[in-house]
Amino acid sequence: MKAIEVKNINKSYGKVEALKNVSFDIEQGAIYGIIGPDGAGKTSLFRLIATLLLQDSGQITVEGFDTVRQMQHIRKRLGYMPGKFSLYQDLTIEENLEFFATLFGTTVEAGYDSIKAIYSQIERFKNRRAGALSGGMKQKLALCCALIHSPSILLLDEPTTGVDPVSRKEFWDLLQTLKSRNITIVAATPYLDEIRRCEKVLFLDKGEVKGIGTPDEILTRFADIFNPEGLPENESKLNGTENVIEVKNLVKAFGSFHAVDDISFSVRKGEIFGFLGANGAGKTTAMRMLTGLSQPTSGTGTVVGFDISTEHEKIKKNIGYMSQRFSLYEDLTVEENIRLFGGIYGMTKQAIKEKTEKLLWQLNFTEHRQDLVSSLPLGWKQKLAFSVSIFHEPKVVFLDEPTGGVDPATRRQFWELIYQAAQKGITVFVTTHYMDEAEYCDRISIMVDGKIKAIGSPKELKEQFHKKDMDEVFTYLARTATRQDN
Amino acid sequence: MSTLLYLIQKEFIQIRRNSFLPKLIFGFPIVIMCVMPWVMNMEIKNVVVEVVDNDHSQLSSQLIQKIRHSNYFVFAGTKPSYDTALKDIEHSKADVVLVIPQGYEKNGEQVMIAANAVNGTKGAMGSAYLTQIVNSTNASQSATCSTAKTQKLSLGCKLQTLYLYNKNLNYKVFMIPALFAVVIMLMCGFLPTLNIVSEKEAGTIEQINVTPVKKWQFIIAKIIPYWLIAFFIVSVCLVLSWAIYGIVCKGSIWLIYLLVMLLALVFSSFGLIVSNYSDNMQQAIFVMWFFVVILLLLSGLFTPTRSMPDWAYMSTYINPMHYFIDAMRTVFVRGGGLANVSTQISALAIIGCLMAFWAVGSYKKNA
Amino acid sequence: MTTFASFVLKETKHILRDKRTMLILFGMPIALMLLFGYAVTNDVKNVRVVAVCSQTDHLTEQALVRLSASEYFTLVKTVFTPQEAEQYIRSQKADMAIVFTTDFASKKEGLQFIVDASDPNMAEQWTAYATSILLNPQATVNTKMLYNHQMRSAFNFVPAIMGMLLMLVCAMMTSVSIVREKEKGTMEVLLVSPVKPLMIIISKAIPYLVLSFVILIIILLMATFVLDVPVAGSIVWILLVSLIYILLALSLGLLISNIAKTQLVALLMSAMVLLMPIVMLSGMMFPIESMPKILQYVSAVIPPKYYIQAMRKLMIMGVGITDVLTEVGILSAMTLALLGIALAKFNKRLE
Repeated sequence: MKAIEVKNINKSYGKVEALKNVSFDIEQGAIYGIIGPDGAGKTSLFRLIATLLLQDSGQITVEGFDTVRQMQHIRKRLGYMPGKFSLYQDLTIEENLEFFATLFGTTVEAGYDSIKAIYSQIERFKNRRAGALSGGMKQKLALCCALIHSPSILLLDEPTTGVDPVSRKEFWDLLQTLKSRNITIVAATPYLDEIRRCEKVLFLDKGEVKGIGTPDEILTRFADIFNPEGLPENESKLNGTENVIEVKNLVKAFGSFHAVDDISFSVRKGEIFGFLGANGAGKTTAMRMLTGLSQPTSGTGTVVGFDISTEHEKIKKNIGYMSQRFSLYEDLTVEENIRLFGGIYGMTKQAIKEKTEKLLWQLNFTEHRQDLVSSLPLGWKQKLAFSVSIFHEPKVVFLDEPTGGVDPATRRQFWELIYQAAQKGITVFVTTHYMDEAEYCDRISIMVDGKIKAIGSPKELKEQFHKKDMDEVFTYLARTATRQDN
Repeated sequence: MSTLLYLIQKEFIQIRRNSFLPKLIFGFPIVIMCVMPWVMNMEIKNVVVEVVDNDHSQLSSQLIQKIRHSNYFVFAGTKPSYDTALKDIEHSKADVVLVIPQGYEKNGEQVMIAANAVNGTKGAMGSAYLTQIVNSTNASQSATCSTAKTQKLSLGCKLQTLYLYNKNLNYKVFMIPALFAVVIMLMCGFLPTLNIVSEKEAGTIEQINVTPVKKWQFIIAKIIPYWLIAFFIVSVCLVLSWAIYGIVCKGSIWLIYLLVMLLALVFSSFGLIVSNYSDNMQQAIFVMWFFVVILLLLSGLFTPTRSMPDWAYMSTYINPMHYFIDAMRTVFVRGGGLANVSTQISALAIIGCLMAFWAVGSYKKNA
Repeated sequence: MTTFASFVLKETKHILRDKRTMLILFGMPIALMLLFGYAVTNDVKNVRVVAVCSQTDHLTEQALVRLSASEYFTLVKTVFTPQEAEQYIRSQKADMAIVFTTDFASKKEGLQFIVDASDPNMAEQWTAYATSILLNPQATVNTKMLYNHQMRSAFNFVPAIMGMLLMLVCAMMTSVSIVREKEKGTMEVLLVSPVKPLMIIISKAIPYLVLSFVILIIILLMATFVLDVPVAGSIVWILLVSLIYILLALSLGLLISNIAKTQLVALLMSAMVLLMPIVMLSGMMFPIESMPKILQYVSAVIPPKYYIQAMRKLMIMGVGITDVLTEVGILSAMTLALLGIALAKFNKRLE
């Protein structure tokens, strides 16, 4: 018997067809990947299998049970982690875990082994409320909550968005061990390395099945989408050695916890500086101090020549910022957002008008100028948000995980935009969890436990640690983290 | 300056785009003005009276006749005994019982009025009216058979009362200016509260925080749209109160607008303060609601502030709502001019400015 | 059973950890009780009087002394013309004026009250009080105020506060807490789990049920010991009728949570659909009899109306349960109907 059988499924919301005649089946105990760009219908598919939605036509059976008529039987056998899985912010880590354990009729002790590899990293903070965790740590906790019980079928909708590479590896190792217990796993993911770990992959686009096969087959067949050529080596001309960002002994403490623990570094004008680190290493906290959003506890720093603790409003005139959470006004149109942020930075009406035309033309957005931002697909939004953040031609632009959850092709386009900005002399300060992106940077630093463990060009770092790519360098350094263990 | 204009423009677009807000801003004042004056009516009408007549005299039936013909009372008939009448009160079939004792006509025995005073006002006013009727019946009786009592009572017959500003004792005249205050408070208080919290929840406030926008620019840009909304709302209210109820402002319209602008400043700043301190919408709404209820109850909107105990009366000195309602009634009902309300206007202006400064101060761009 | 217990525990933690909301939840009944008990009264007190007399003689003086000796009136000023008095009233320095004609002493007549009638009820009461003080009519009437001898407004408002707060806590808080889970995506996980959807709902309702009982008891205790409002009726019946009402409110909350997609909508719906009509149309503050017929019909479908009526009778008047059977019957029927609709409408799936 197949674990999941999907036959000729159609589903539409009003006039929008989310799924068109989708059929496939999944073997018992398989690791099955579902991939596709944003808006392809992945989430709808998951919800249909999880009995949360009703299809318009077609049939889905899960372990022989019909999703429409035998809902209760399926729900007993299913584990599901939705894409925007959110924990209870006001409960502690431990309470969240215990709650989900009892929800599935098990206990934390009974399920401890299956989550140990990930949970041990956050167990130290088990009395902290989930709301106070960093984005990546929340995701790890969410993974633990989803894995605490051992259902016979596990549905994971983009489970590792925003999670650092090391933890993602550990997570997939875990999934592998679950497989040995004959658990069927269906996962959606935008990461290439994760796709490669699936046994079979379904490529979904615009609600239609474009292809089913082994990861290699699919990735070669649709290479232009999943495996775009790497960017040509960035020929940015470094204008001398003028430092745009200089940081000395910077510390940010929350009580006795030093989120950023005595870091010093500098960034040169026109550089693309990659600011890497595992979840909870203190990247976002450091970036918030540099952008004048929070005050350092001690230490000094200057951004474009202004002091970060006293002259933060002057800094703000000279920088652009794009945050982890999507940061444009969803209820304004593309053009209105551009105009608003241009106006905020004191650009003249004429300048805004001219630059808007140019920008829309560059992005191929001219037809969509009157569209509400909320109606754009995620990748477009990210590109627009970046363009808006450099619209006023700042000296430095800060990007906090700008490409989280975006498919490879769009990510590549995004990096082309970053290169263009760098060529104009804008210094780019970027955090990312994609190690292929790290390779695109001129220089990178790797933060572990609030400290900078390594800094240099990708080439230098690979040589220094004798590793073949950035992924291995990062894994090596991140594994030295001690914070989780003490 | 131009930055401010861009921010204000953004606020307006957001309000207009919202699927719910424009309807609320148009609909709410209209519904409130059409329905509420009928509801917020504490006029005591249709008090149900039962009579227990133990005298069965000419005078007692004269008294019953008078009650029967009064517009004020609903006469529910005579009952054989006080106990049966009391049962009717318990069943809420009657509000007041008048017991006419034996020997009422002959010996001038006292009548007894028993009123259901669970609603104190109703009980008091019902029995007061009934007492008047009894008194006038007694007086006419006394006039015919002259007794010693007449002398004092003759004074009563010549007493006249002049009701100023509201000759017909129309309760709506009292309530409509207060309704202006309620509408302004709800619209200009709650909408800005939700505004900043929703920017926090959407994450857009972070984006604003890394821009060189000044704190005051951001706050002023949030307040100004609500000013205009207040301006619009009060115009609608003024027109409706004239069109539906024929009640017009006796004083200067411009004074009304001035007062409304000040109140809008106070409450929109207050809403922004609350949202600056709140993490989520539920919290913001609850806190706001708490203060709104307390400010309203202590403002003299429903009951005179002078009847309050001292501690409560003291609080009216810092209650913007109290100053507003006071001034509003003076201008709208009593036709007072600037001189009559100068204290209230300056108090509102001071509170408004303090609130606005606090709103700017509590907004943190750099923590 | 342990799943159920952990659900209830989780829900309780949500409530307890939101300190500000907790503060409001418990601060509200206390503040409302104190305000309605002491501050919001229609008592005739401190009425500012201006006397208008061109010449004083012993009779006017006597009248004025009698007036200011009473606890109701304070004499603020003596002026010569009614016009001056009117200016005083207009600028809110006085509430009423008493005009004595020049030959008042000789004729024993010619007395006029000029009253600020912007508040008609108070104007009438002031006149009535002033008349009785000045003219001192012999006691022809023996007035007896049943159930509430001092005519304190607290007697009227305590049941109303109960009606409003219980509805607010149960309906608004339950609906918001369910919708929050929908909005944050946790509802999806709960639904897919082996736990029965009905149990999710029941376990959500229980903490709020307990919370409303705590609030109810706070109100009753404050009423008895702080405000001196006696609980005249049987406490068992009061609690029982309240239970029916709380269940009704919970079903309403559930119904709202089925319709609303975001917390904001749930909040606004609770505020618009529940709070406004309760305060305005339930007879809590404004007597239903004085409303136009059409609004009276509307008020007939508002549940708190019946609860407040029943509580006024049970608590304040101290009648037996047999006298409120109609109200209790209507409430129970409404509860059953709403609960039925809410459960039938409850979505076991996402749409």
